[in-house]
Amino acid sequence: MLDHILSILIFFPALAAMLGFVVTKDSMRAYGIAVAFVEFVLSLWLWYAYDPMISGMQFMESAPLIKSFGISYLLGIDGISLFIIILSTFFTLLGIASLTETRHVKNLIITLLFLEMTMVGVFAALDAIVFYVFWELSLVPMLYIIGAWGGALRIYASVKFFLYTFTGSLVMLVGMLFMAYFYYQATGQWSFSILEWYRLILPENFQLWLFAAFFIGFAIKVPMFPFHTWLPYAHGQAPTIGSVILAAILLKMGTYAFIRFSLPLFPDASVYFMFPIAIIAIIMIIYTAMVAYAQEDIKQVVAYSSISHMGIIILGTFALTVEGVSGSVFLMIGHGVVSGALFLLVGVIYDRRHTKLMSEFGGLASVMPRYATIFGIMMMASVGLPLTINFVGEFLSLLGFYKQSHMITLTAGTAIIVGAIYMLSAYKKAFFGPVTNEENRNLKDVNRTEMLGLIPLVIVAIWLGVYPKPVLEPINNSVESVIQLMHDKAQSQEAKARIPNLSDVSGMNSMQEAH
Amino acid sequence: MEITLTHYLVLSSVLFAIGLIGVMRRKNLLMLFFATEILLNATNIAFAAISHYIGDLSGQMFAFFIIAIAASEVAIGLGLLIVWYKRTGKIDLDQMNSMRG
Amino acid sequence: MELYLYIALFAPLVGSLFSALFGASAKTSLTGYVASGLLFTSFISSVLLLNYVLGGHTVHVEMMTWMATGNLYIPFGFVVDQVSVVMMMVVTIVSTVVHVYSIGYMDHDKGFNRFFSWLSAFVFSMMVLVMSDNFAGLFIGWEGVGLCSWGLIGFWYHKESATWAANEAFIMNRIADLGMLIGIFMLYWNVGSLQYDVVFAEIGNLPVVITTWIGIFLFIGAMGKSAQFPLHTWLADAMEGPTPVSALIHAATMVTAGVYLVVRANPIYDLIPNVGIFIASLGAFVALFAASMALVNRDMKRIIAYSTLSQLGYMFVAAGLGAYWVALFHLMAHAFFKALLFLGAGNVMHAMHDELDPFKMGGLRKVMKGTFVMMTLASVALAGIYPFAGFFSKDLILEVGFVEHHYVIYTVLLLTAGLTAFYSFRLVALIFHGEERYKLFGIHPHEAYKFMLVAMSPLLVLAIIAGSFKMTYFQLVMNLLPATQYHVHNQTIFWIMTIGTQLFVIGAILFAYKKYSNWNSVPDGTSKMEKSFGYKLLWNQYYIPKFYEEVFSRPYLELSKVAWKEIDLKIVDATVDMIANAIYKTGENTRDIQNGNLSTMLRWMVFGLVVLLALAVAFTVGYNAVGA
Repeated sequence: MLDHILSILIFFPALAAMLGFVVTKDSMRAYGIAVAFVEFVLSLWLWYAYDPMISGMQFMESAPLIKSFGISYLLGIDGISLFIIILSTFFTLLGIASLTETRHVKNLIITLLFLEMTMVGVFAALDAIVFYVFWELSLVPMLYIIGAWGGALRIYASVKFFLYTFTGSLVMLVGMLFMAYFYYQATGQWSFSILEWYRLILPENFQLWLFAAFFIGFAIKVPMFPFHTWLPYAHGQAPTIGSVILAAILLKMGTYAFIRFSLPLFPDASVYFMFPIAIIAIIMIIYTAMVAYAQEDIKQVVAYSSISHMGIIILGTFALTVEGVSGSVFLMIGHGVVSGALFLLVGVIYDRRHTKLMSEFGGLASVMPRYATIFGIMMMASVGLPLTINFVGEFLSLLGFYKQSHMITLTAGTAIIVGAIYMLSAYKKAFFGPVTNEENRNLKDVNRTEMLGLIPLVIVAIWLGVYPKPVLEPINNSVESVIQLMHDKAQSQEAKARIPNLSDVSGMNSMQEAH
Repeated sequence: MEITLTHYLVLSSVLFAIGLIGVMRRKNLLMLFFATEILLNATNIAFAAISHYIGDLSGQMFAFFIIAIAASEVAIGLGLLIVWYKRTGKIDLDQMNSMRG
Repeated sequence: MELYLYIALFAPLVGSLFSALFGASAKTSLTGYVASGLLFTSFISSVLLLNYVLGGHTVHVEMMTWMATGNLYIPFGFVVDQVSVVMMMVVTIVSTVVHVYSIGYMDHDKGFNRFFSWLSAFVFSMMVLVMSDNFAGLFIGWEGVGLCSWGLIGFWYHKESATWAANEAFIMNRIADLGMLIGIFMLYWNVGSLQYDVVFAEIGNLPVVITTWIGIFLFIGAMGKSAQFPLHTWLADAMEGPTPVSALIHAATMVTAGVYLVVRANPIYDLIPNVGIFIASLGAFVALFAASMALVNRDMKRIIAYSTLSQLGYMFVAAGLGAYWVALFHLMAHAFFKALLFLGAGNVMHAMHDELDPFKMGGLRKVMKGTFVMMTLASVALAGIYPFAGFFSKDLILEVGFVEHHYVIYTVLLLTAGLTAFYSFRLVALIFHGEERYKLFGIHPHEAYKFMLVAMSPLLVLAIIAGSFKMTYFQLVMNLLPATQYHVHNQTIFWIMTIGTQLFVIGAILFAYKKYSNWNSVPDGTSKMEKSFGYKLLWNQYYIPKFYEEVFSRPYLELSKVAWKEIDLKIVDATVDMIANAIYKTGENTRDIQNGNLSTMLRWMVFGLVVLLALAVAFTVGYNAVGA
């Protein structure tokens, strides 16, 4: 079974979703939870069976699809994708378990299970075409979730979300086709396997163009400034579950793809574009933090804070050092957990009051102390307090980039200040002060179902903040191989210098002995 | 004066231009058919003439094809025209816009 | 010994988590007792560790890995050495006292359990801060105390001013923490490790420029926590929190973390005397600056807060001039008497129903004998009168300034000592002497619970006798810190200085008594002094909070609004929508081609044909031209 575990992980939820059509409405929730739970256990089994000492791909599966063009059904995971897959299954489970939506629950759960398939597929695919197919397919369930269960402006928001990301992906597809063509020219064979592509060393000017094509697809997904404006609408209109999955998993596709495609395929271009992208990352961090500070709607605060955090992830990715890239991968997990939890928390209050405006709240801490506590913990995780999950990622990302540029890191480091400003002021507005609105006086504290979703997240947020090793170690090993690959492939002097050479034995060993 | 290929082609072009103007200007469906016939016959002249001068019969064969197709086209077209006339009592082109996109 | 280390470290955490279990439920005294008991356990363990360290050993444990990636390796490592054990003693003594005291002080508060949870969590963070064996661990504690300080300043969260102050404190500290973070990054990339021992062994090999920058960035971190100018405004506002919090966090422990950092990083600062001079100058400036603001303030707690600020300045002078052990000694002595002063102020506040203006008090010594004695003695210690603790530590700092030939600093500090004595006794005189002005406001003051006074007594004893530990202490810390003795060698000058200082300070005290002990009215802003420019300047804290508000806070908010409403919505998003709309409009406009009118369509067809023909001709001609 282990040989095909990835296929099972991908298609089990889809099959279960098909069967879901014949399940009665009343038992759909239980069915959904059961399926998501089995899927989650399977993904944990994947982790258990994963050998953290091997840096390369594991659980590989391969079956030819279109031989003449070298397209094959190629799956495999490494330390980078493993945890994002687990995060996807985890959040699908939590999302279904703590679902408070009452309209068309059956359809919603079926949609979520389809979405789960596409998410796992994206992170497990090693063939560019398979990757692209899952990447695009993931848009459909999300379009449906926003468009069918969303707020007043849902059609506008969902169409914007779809068209925007779709446009980006088309450019990416063109890039992929060109990449395959270059591979054909170089080797005389067609292949869409990413692993094969890794071996290809492209001239720098080709790299620049291809990098740009991939960049547009990924940047819109992340979303990077100035392509970010679809996100606030999507979050603003999406139902809670949609926002949770969108923030926790779908955004990570972009940053994951940077590490999977852009860095190892185009090392010279990555170095070439390092500083422009770092500047964009800084704009993302500071500018969106300011925009978040100006928001009146608490969900929008969290939405913009997502963009701000994605800026740090991007910065860590383009640090091109082991510390930075590991940190950015870890921060993907961290941000997934934290922003997912924050959206769930916003959903809790929205279910009670049917508004997300902070001016409507105030003094919630005395009415809903447990809610305020959990929100407080997650807020502190979001601002990156040590011993919470986000700190590890932010610290490593910034630390990693410090090697490349001091000034940029210093500027980007203001993230910890501006982040605290918007989060604390939002918390103050919603939770502190006297209870001014009579409607808030008798609100019920979080109930059991909601606790079911929130408590595991709190535990993960603190556990991985205190003891990140089980996750960080596999990530580190895989990232090291990516960085080494980049160093070996790099051609320009600058790239060679900026990307560390890990097989440089003297440096490594002396450090190891020091411990 | 010897009649050269050029003369034929000039005649063909003139006829083609007349047909084209007819196609563009006429609002009456029947006149439109006349115009298309002129267009087709203009090309027929060119085909036949060139075929003769080159000494290749394919051109003339093509001309026959076109005559046959033009005949069937006119037959079907006229049939449609009559049906249309019976329905609306008009054959004005400007009235026919049910395909508006 | 490792066991004691873990007990000392984790007992407060257990207490915090235990109290947190009851966080949302009604008051149970149990949480108070358990938290205090665990704190006392922690204190006992610290005493045992102190005893062990006095025997010349140190304890160093590595609990587990925290972060490891690339070359980075950060463990949870803890060290009990001569410096950290001193800090541990200070922290556990003061916090045990404050815990017990709080059982009485927070008696009627409905957030009783929550309070103990936060308070114990703070102690845990502080212990992590002082016991860590690496800079990253220090940073954990550093941010942890910031968090707990946020929770405790904003403890009464229904008060707007309290939550505002809490956020201000957190954000100001974050600004400084960024500096510290950069310092840590620099250390890592230049040394390759964040462990104290590795860093301090390697730091000498670095170029001086880099060391200087590391020193500066780490000191920026220290400036935030220790509320040095220009990041000082949060400390006075932090007085919104419950008074035991002010005693523990904003007097004895957290604010001294900055001093601890400089002392701990002494091998770095030893290499960069220029930065040291800067630190000392800033410290001297803050000492005078804060003391001046305390002169006119009419809020009891703020006066003490400014005095704390001023004393922190003293500590930085000592640390900056390389007298690390003196700084640490003053830190210790100051912790005792300042915590005592705050707790006394807490008693007064309770008695006066949270009235803070000393001008509305007066004559309280009749009803509050115990508190009166304690606060007076604490003020004497603060003023530095022989043989109280303050004399030994503060005079030593003056001597350091003198011996190191920084006469300007010396003069400033001497002047500040006089001011300190003046405002301390202005406060004492206004509260405890003179007419009973509180009667005008219909308040019936009463003394605090007996056990609260008893709980305070250890601090009183220490405030009196802490000076006598000086030699033991010196023997202890000279293992780790530069063992420079600061003595004015010339006996005559030494005696003139000492006695002169004492006389000056006593004079200031007497002046304060003379001026304020018979005060009989509540100032209403009409007197000549209150209208003077100097008074207004000091009263408004040199207009610095206002300046920050006008120059940073408000523009930031305005700019944020512009960023959202003007830039994000009207430029970035509008551009995207414009592109989409342009495509949509193009379709809308070109749908006329498909108007269903045969003759129009035919015309378009002809147009297309002509265009294609023209293109074909053009290309053919062009191709032939090129071909030829």
